[in-house]
Amino acid sequence: MSTNESAETIQDQIVALLPRLRRFARNLVRTPHDADDMVQIAVERALLHLDQWHSDARLDSWLFKILRNAWIDEVRSRGRRAKLFMPEEAGENVGEASMEREIDRLSVEAALARLPHDQRLAVSLVLVEGLAYKDAADVLEVPIGTLTSRLARGREALAAMLRPPQGDRS
Amino acid sequence: MSVSDETLMAYADGEVDAATRAIIETAMRDDPEIRRRIEEHRALRETMQGAFSAVLEEPVPQRLIDAARGQTAARAGNVVDLAHARRAAAGQVPGRWRRWQPTAMAASLLVGLALGYVGWHSAKPLVTTSSSGELVAGAGLAEALSHQLSEDRSPGLAAITGLSFRAKTGNYCRTFSLTGSHASSGLACHESDGWKIKVLAQSPPATSNSSNFRPAASADPPAIRVAVEQSIDGEPLDRAGEIAARQSGWSAASRR
Repeated sequence: MSTNESAETIQDQIVALLPRLRRFARNLVRTPHDADDMVQIAVERALLHLDQWHSDARLDSWLFKILRNAWIDEVRSRGRRAKLFMPEEAGENVGEASMEREIDRLSVEAALARLPHDQRLAVSLVLVEGLAYKDAADVLEVPIGTLTSRLARGREALAAMLRPPQGDRS
Repeated sequence: MSVSDETLMAYADGEVDAATRAIIETAMRDDPEIRRRIEEHRALRETMQGAFSAVLEEPVPQRLIDAARGQTAARAGNVVDLAHARRAAAGQVPGRWRRWQPTAMAASLLVGLALGYVGWHSAKPLVTTSSSGELVAGAGLAEALSHQLSEDRSPGLAAITGLSFRAKTGNYCRTFSLTGSHASSGLACHESDGWKIKVLAQSPPATSNSSNFRPAASADPPAIRVAVEQSIDGEPLDRAGEIAARQSGWSAASRR
């Protein structure tokens, strides 16, 4: 049965994309456990809606879009469901105490976490995930010009945060 | 010559057309400032790629691999496939047992066995089956679902109610967590003949990090969240909404 075969193939492809989905999710929510929950929700939704995926579209972009939409649903419902689904403490703790130990890595993570959502997503998709502008714009469902300007602003803010405190003004 | 920073950024990302690329490369030769800005864009791109690559090397949790292969529901000990549990309850009840014991007792025991929840209090079962073989809330759970508000987290409760909402079907539904050694969570909806259990899943073990912060009921398995998201109509009920729904007996007919 060809439909079964293609379903199998897509599932294999989704499995192969899990590491990248996990990475993207970690830039959406703070704790790795919550990030994996988001990935699981997205993957379950993707399988439910496989008929909506067009094989000419990139599977990674499609999954990123589902993940992003699942996260938006989560954020929207967060107010009232916070006590059940996402305790605020878990979301707001960036781990500043341990920052000094792994300055490079954590400061980049912390800097990215401080960006507004729009810019953080644009930076995440283009710079971290390596998506083309066109594909990133598609994931975020915005025109390419909007994506470009969010990316430019996000980059500018990141560069300012990551710039060493001394030595750049000489 | 002046080139906008967005254009330089797009060049550094390989996103400009051939004509623009030629212009920028000419400008780069003459202008060290343009070279520096492009270099800054490239360096930031490399920094961002490098900073988040560690997760790619981590082993992917099995539950995600199972989810990607569509095996979430079939996995023993994680999410219980209700249809399967019902078949088990309906089909595997030995005839002798049916004669010897009240049907509901036998069925609830079997469901308990099927779900791995042996040891639930059989005098006041939390989960049982109806005469038509559906999983329903037993007396203990039904009492909690009908009367407890979501803020109620007094110690010693057999079940903690989480979120209450009206489903697209018009029925009221509530999530719940069962405490004790077989901690699990579920979603139940109030139908004309009582609380029907729509999803039942074992709660993920609390990690050392989160157990300090989260109330017991917060560690809901993704299956419950997905079920809530798929069935919820609008927003969850607030406290006043829960009280009103409770007064109406969680009756689907009385729209507020």
